[in-house]
Amino acid sequence: MQNENALIQQLQNKEERALSFLYDKYAGAIYSVILKMTRDEGIAQNLLQDTFMSVWEKANSYDNSKGRFYTWIFRIARNKTLNFLRKNDPLIQTDDFSVYDSKEATISKDADFLELNGAITSLEAHHKQAIELVYFKGLTHKEAHQEMDVPLGTFKSYVRQALKQLRTAYTKSISVVLLIFNVL
Amino acid sequence: MDKKMILDDGLLEQFLLGELDADENLQIEQLLVSDAELKAHYSHLEQDFERLGLDNAITPPDFVKAQLLKKITDNIKQTKEVTLESNRNSNWFLGIAASIALLLFAGSAWMYNQLNSFKQKLEIVENEKLELDNKINTLNKQLNNELALLTTITHPDTEQYILKGNTLMPEGKVISYVNHETKSVIVNTERLPELDEAHDYQMWADVEGEMINMGVISKGSILAVMSYIEHAESLNITIEPLGGSDHPTVERLVTNVYLN
Repeated sequence: MQNENALIQQLQNKEERALSFLYDKYAGAIYSVILKMTRDEGIAQNLLQDTFMSVWEKANSYDNSKGRFYTWIFRIARNKTLNFLRKNDPLIQTDDFSVYDSKEATISKDADFLELNGAITSLEAHHKQAIELVYFKGLTHKEAHQEMDVPLGTFKSYVRQALKQLRTAYTKSISVVLLIFNVL
Repeated sequence: MDKKMILDDGLLEQFLLGELDADENLQIEQLLVSDAELKAHYSHLEQDFERLGLDNAITPPDFVKAQLLKKITDNIKQTKEVTLESNRNSNWFLGIAASIALLLFAGSAWMYNQLNSFKQKLEIVENEKLELDNKINTLNKQLNNELALLTTITHPDTEQYILKGNTLMPEGKVISYVNHETKSVIVNTERLPELDEAHDYQMWADVEGEMINMGVISKGSILAVMSYIEHAESLNITIEPLGGSDHPTVERLVTNVYLN
């Protein structure tokens, strides 16, 4: 964390080396989110580049007392991607989310980038979908509950439950790592 | 907006994902600063979402990073060029400033020359004025002299004697004015024949048989002031070598007159 703060400081001082390190650390996670939202590798790559250009240009507006650096980049990427999708797909502007269904039908089954990994895969389907919609597809809670066709309160409950389970899983994995260290 | 509502409504999740509007964002930000428990909860959420993201990371192609870094380098270069361009602009402005300075300098040089020229002219005028002043002084002196002579000549006590030329100067004539009160002698030399450059007329007073020098009659002026000699019995004029003599050359006596 100390190293990351130093890197962010260097980034704010316009040191390209710091951007390079931070890109290596976070570009994969951000690219995954953008790719799952756009479902187009070329577009996602452009948006990823655009996102990190903004990170470079607006680094001084990041305030670490308000949140983690990753959260800051994630919000930039999400906004850019949503703006792009709204501009380029009028169907989304009309809140007709069937566009996703129609697109999904055309996307090859080999589109590995839509696959989810890690602890989220162990969640119940509706919890997993709730997180997937708000985190990886860029839908708001209000949009997502319509998409899942459940009341907003129920959807919020899904998200809360899902996050609780993820927290438990992550805590367990940290405990396992600590246990291995202790054994060693 | 209280803590329970925030937690139940999932506002922290929505805040993290960037779903809230500006007002709601500000309220959450303020609450996170003031409420440590809420802040801790939010920190966990951030960590979990970050972990979720990293678990699902997909490595982008290398060229994306290469393009990004190239774009940044190009931007930096452009910025430098713009800076250089602005420097060029400032050079351009410097050029104008230098031209104006040159013009001002040329103007100053021209004015300096003009000033010198005026100074020279002023000097000439001043010299001419000085010369004129001198002339006026001279003329004033002459006038004063003439007036003095006139005063002497017209004085009621002045006696007039006419010295007629002898055989050496048959056509010559000198009129002398003698005033025993003011002890002055003036002669009018208008009718004295002109002498060569090597000789002067000199006037003498005869006092008990001795000829006493009254002075050389100056050339170039009509009226000449001579020395007054007490008890003079006659006035005599001789031709003497230039500058006069101590003793009269009697052989060259040209005129004389006895005083009353």
